[in-house]
Amino acid sequence: MSACTYSVGTVTEAHTAGHIAADDSALVARLRDGDERAFEEVVSSFYPSMIAVARGYARTRAVADEIVQEAWIGVLKGIDRFEGRSSLRTWVLQIVANIARTRAVREARSAPYSSFETGDAQPAVEPERFRGPDDPFPGHWRSYPTDWRTLPEERLVSNETLAVVKQAIAELPENQRIVITLRDMTGCSAAEVCDTLGLSPENQRVLLHRARARVRARLERHLDG
Amino acid sequence: MVEPLGIREHGYTCREVVDVASEYVEGALPPEETTLFELHLNFCDGCFTFIDQIKQAAALSRRVSEDELPEPLRLGLLEAFRDWKRS
Repeated sequence: MSACTYSVGTVTEAHTAGHIAADDSALVARLRDGDERAFEEVVSSFYPSMIAVARGYARTRAVADEIVQEAWIGVLKGIDRFEGRSSLRTWVLQIVANIARTRAVREARSAPYSSFETGDAQPAVEPERFRGPDDPFPGHWRSYPTDWRTLPEERLVSNETLAVVKQAIAELPENQRIVITLRDMTGCSAAEVCDTLGLSPENQRVLLHRARARVRARLERHLDG
Repeated sequence: MVEPLGIREHGYTCREVVDVASEYVEGALPPEETTLFELHLNFCDGCFTFIDQIKQAAALSRRVSEDELPEPLRLGLLEAFRDWKRS
């Protein structure tokens, strides 16, 4: 398999072709030199985002791990041709997405992103929270949300609260889960997510908004309850 | 019950605010909309709090522990790296 197997698509981040970002250039040089420690570091640090992308297409965690493994083999074969048109991580994530899509096509399954707009028109906040059309002030809060900034820090970031967040993310529709995992858990930029998943900026925002709104609602039930 | 703002005060109702909350947080609202949006936030404690909650939800997600690299995969990758180095 050669690096040319992977079509990385259009990259919208402001990277200059042929110029590898300063952060990446040292790392890429070490990888090209066969530096095992550099490889181990990058394998660990990219894993959460790689597995998030792979899981969007794979039925099981085991299959997602196979996709990650295959992607790294592709990365190593193509590392000499990496030109820094995107960040190293974006490039790696695009390879993961390409491998995962290819496998999904082979197994005649469609990827979650192809149907991202369907099946979930759940509003960000339940309509009952707002005053109805017959009210003198339609569309305004009936009662305000609680100000979490007044909560003690230990309660807001307690293991119990974080477990609620984790559970809420796990139960999201797949496409929303992938986007919030990449954006909020692993810290990818919006451009990185769009490039990797082939989403428009608007669609990326819609998915992120729905995901964050659901996590917020679960937190509200937990913290106000 | 809370004391509401005037009807459609400052261009947005609260219900509309929650729908575009992430666009605002992401800095994706056009400048003229941002001005109207922030005008609403200045006067509406409920929406100000809602926006804060959306930001808190994102910040808390950042603290949730991520998937860790399974040991068999780590070893398999290391082996693949050594093979690649030799090739």
